[in-house]
Amino acid sequence: MKKPSAKLIIAGFVCLGSALPAAAQETTDVGTLDSAKAGKAFSSKPVYSPYAGRNFPTRPLFGDTHLHTGASFDAGAFGARLTPRDAYRFARGEEITASSGQPAKLSRPLDFLVVADHSDNMGMFPDLFAGKPEVISDPQAKTWYEEIKAGQGGKAALEIIFSFGKGTLPKSMIYGPETRPYKNAWQDTIKAAEEYNDPGRFTAFIGYEWTSNTAGNNLHRNVVFRDNADRADQVVPYTTLKPLGSDNPRDLWKWMQAYEDKTGGSVLAIAHNGNLSNGRMFPLIESFTGKPVDKEYVEQRSRWERLYETTQTKGDGEAHPVLSPNDEFADFETWDFGNLDASVPKTPDMLEFEYTRSALKNGLKLEAELGTNPYKFGLVGSSDAHTGLAAMEEENFFGKTTPQEPSPERLTATFVKDAKTGITVMDWEVGASGYAAVWATENTRESIWDAMQRKETYATTGPRMAVRFFGGWDFEPADAETRNPGAIGYGKGVPMGGDLTAAPEGKAPSFLVAALRDPIGANLDRYQIVKGWLDDKGETHEQVYDVAWGGDRKLGADGKVPSVGSTVDTENATWTNTIGAPELIAVWKDPSFDPQQEAFYYGRVIEIPTPRWTAYDAKRFGTKPLEGTRMTVIERAYTSPIWYRP
Amino acid sequence: MPAVKPAAGRSGSASGERVSTIYLKRVLREPLVHFLALALLIFAGYGLLGVDTGDKPDTIVVTAPKIEQMATVFTKTWQRPPTAEELKGLIDDYVKEEILVRQALELGLDRDDTVVRRRLRQKMEFLNAADAETLTATDAELDAYLKANAATFEIAPMLAFQQVFLNPQRRGETLAQDAASVREALLTDPAMDPSLLGDPTLLPSDLPLSDKTSIGQTFGAEFVEVLDKIPAGQWTGPVNSGFGLHLIRVTERVPGRVPTLDEVRDAVAREWTNAKRKELEDQRFAELLKRYVVSIESPAGAGTDP
Repeated sequence: MKKPSAKLIIAGFVCLGSALPAAAQETTDVGTLDSAKAGKAFSSKPVYSPYAGRNFPTRPLFGDTHLHTGASFDAGAFGARLTPRDAYRFARGEEITASSGQPAKLSRPLDFLVVADHSDNMGMFPDLFAGKPEVISDPQAKTWYEEIKAGQGGKAALEIIFSFGKGTLPKSMIYGPETRPYKNAWQDTIKAAEEYNDPGRFTAFIGYEWTSNTAGNNLHRNVVFRDNADRADQVVPYTTLKPLGSDNPRDLWKWMQAYEDKTGGSVLAIAHNGNLSNGRMFPLIESFTGKPVDKEYVEQRSRWERLYETTQTKGDGEAHPVLSPNDEFADFETWDFGNLDASVPKTPDMLEFEYTRSALKNGLKLEAELGTNPYKFGLVGSSDAHTGLAAMEEENFFGKTTPQEPSPERLTATFVKDAKTGITVMDWEVGASGYAAVWATENTRESIWDAMQRKETYATTGPRMAVRFFGGWDFEPADAETRNPGAIGYGKGVPMGGDLTAAPEGKAPSFLVAALRDPIGANLDRYQIVKGWLDDKGETHEQVYDVAWGGDRKLGADGKVPSVGSTVDTENATWTNTIGAPELIAVWKDPSFDPQQEAFYYGRVIEIPTPRWTAYDAKRFGTKPLEGTRMTVIERAYTSPIWYRP
Repeated sequence: MPAVKPAAGRSGSASGERVSTIYLKRVLREPLVHFLALALLIFAGYGLLGVDTGDKPDTIVVTAPKIEQMATVFTKTWQRPPTAEELKGLIDDYVKEEILVRQALELGLDRDDTVVRRRLRQKMEFLNAADAETLTATDAELDAYLKANAATFEIAPMLAFQQVFLNPQRRGETLAQDAASVREALLTDPAMDPSLLGDPTLLPSDLPLSDKTSIGQTFGAEFVEVLDKIPAGQWTGPVNSGFGLHLIRVTERVPGRVPTLDEVRDAVAREWTNAKRKELEDQRFAELLKRYVVSIESPAGAGTDP
């Protein structure tokens, strides 16, 4: 056996003096405006000028709440070289060089970005040398110290490393000068966000991903800070590995509570990829205990998990065709082969606990039983790209991982393969999806985070369509004819993410819906409202209504609007806006409302068919796609629900 | 689990009692001498000075500073110090990891492992990266950088305008005609409230002063280019967008300009630092490269083009 090396022992001498938490700051949390309060802020008293007092959000802000860079262990292993700084630069519209060496630029800037690198294995180095300047008794140490002060920190750092290797490090350097040449990746991430956060123009959020993945079952959550570095810096991200971390979301919630209690800051969590959790994402029975979820679980979950990332590169999670057989749009970019590492195949009984719509329904059940709805979440889409590039447009898609950046190979390459289960996932199955849209009044951390907290958000699978969804008791058809639907919507109802209660006698909820297509994108096919409810026997139901649509079509006998058709020329990767409509506005009233039944309503906006990224690849690289490759896509947006409670 | 006691007794004393402040202060006050003494002991004992330990079993020393580091990470994670039991858990896990890592290294499991190699490369690059704090520019340097990269920092032109929207789906064949009569009405009666005209839309009818990029986000970039050429004051159009036709009145226009350093100091400093960082990294890599003679063989069957 070898002896422990000197290096190892030296590495054991660590002083983290400078990393100790600062004293707690007494600050109140102002980030919890709920929709009821938000609604009250918008006076419904008529004034002459339609613009006076208009302080509601007028333009949705688009961003990505889930982007990895080379600082993520797996991204780095896949060859991602881009840093958080690169990621922010790209998102704000700059051209940068991707890890694969090719230039990359967005068609237009995003408004915000959360770099959410995995917390596990994030720390590049412990703070080995954080020490005190008075130890610089050794001349060599002093020289290095001065070099660092003079801006030559990197040179000194390298020499220190080489000295380590040769065993010639001065003894006093065990503690070293206050150099911090061994930075840590979390501090670097925070610093990058601080540098690129540009209130009013571009918001760079501080965040990370907590990656609970026991036995390959995806229970991942992204944690987003409302706060700046002064608070985020006081804490280190929560990890999943024992003994310090845990793979149980309950422990993450405790961590979030501890952070808020100590710093006065605010954080929220966004879960994703229930489709890869094998029935564990939205449980009725907790996988960790085998027992039904209890009061504490539902309360904590509803408190901390305000949003769910319902669409991303690894599959869409709004609905599953087996759960919603009457919904012809339910089978969208479906990934239902098994869990994240493809080690256990999917069985149909798992699906109910994986998809957004079924979770929203089960949430009503749990609320009836336990008094709190744990699955009362708003919706966002995001990329989960591991490239540092939030590039989710079909004709400008930079893949999920670095090997999936544009190349002639990606149309035919294999992404996941498990020999034991026989599950294979091809690169072409990865979706160019999606983004988070937020109705915030200002482009700042505070304003966007607060809108997330009150769930005034929607998911898009990539296009930047503007989607409004208001619920109330008094919307009438004339409201869809006004010049300013936003003002009417806030004036007479609650926006997406809000609540309706206490139905006035004899009234059914009515909804003002509006959608404007992406200014450089495809026309819209239809605006649908998805309703879910709980009947008096405790059973849940769902129904999809077509409420607005483009072109000269009529509702069929089955209550559905016929297909809009397709203009896609797959071979040339083109389409035309000759079908559908650029804008849809309507008022819809629930025709089968029962004031005794709990319900939720959310909007789903369907685009006309367009070429999928695979069609652009086939055209640009001249590659022949594999048999069965999907070449067209029907993009969509999903709004946060509005809930009704008797 | 290996039952390992902390090497130095004092680190194990953090019990569950509420002593966070005291504990932290104590860590800060810890005499340096203590560390040095320990260091020397361990150096002497474990071969740094060339002492061979012969057949004795390998030794794992969980040093006091290592324990402190673990305790500090715990404290930063949970915003409270670990209990004695929690600290023991951390130490036991560290020992387990240390043993497995040593075994793996002996078996050479680190060699030719893509992930390990990439991680090592990443660590070197991370070290190689210049510290932002150590790079500080003078005002003269920043000013020169701003002048040399004026386009990067340019404040975009801003426009404020009103618009009346006509939806082709609603108007059908009368679209052009309707647009003409709306324009006529607006021009004839300057007191006319434009919000009474046109079709319902999510597009704002009255946009306050906004930069061209942000207008483009809503109306499309081509529309903004047309808008930019319209003289202020008068209703004009119709202008085509991806959504339909618009009658436009530009109410205010602020041309783009290069800002002064004071206006954009942070952004200039950030970009200057990034550029400098890149330059230093390249320079450092060039220095490393000098230590090697790199010879690249032609792959068999490769072309012979120069």
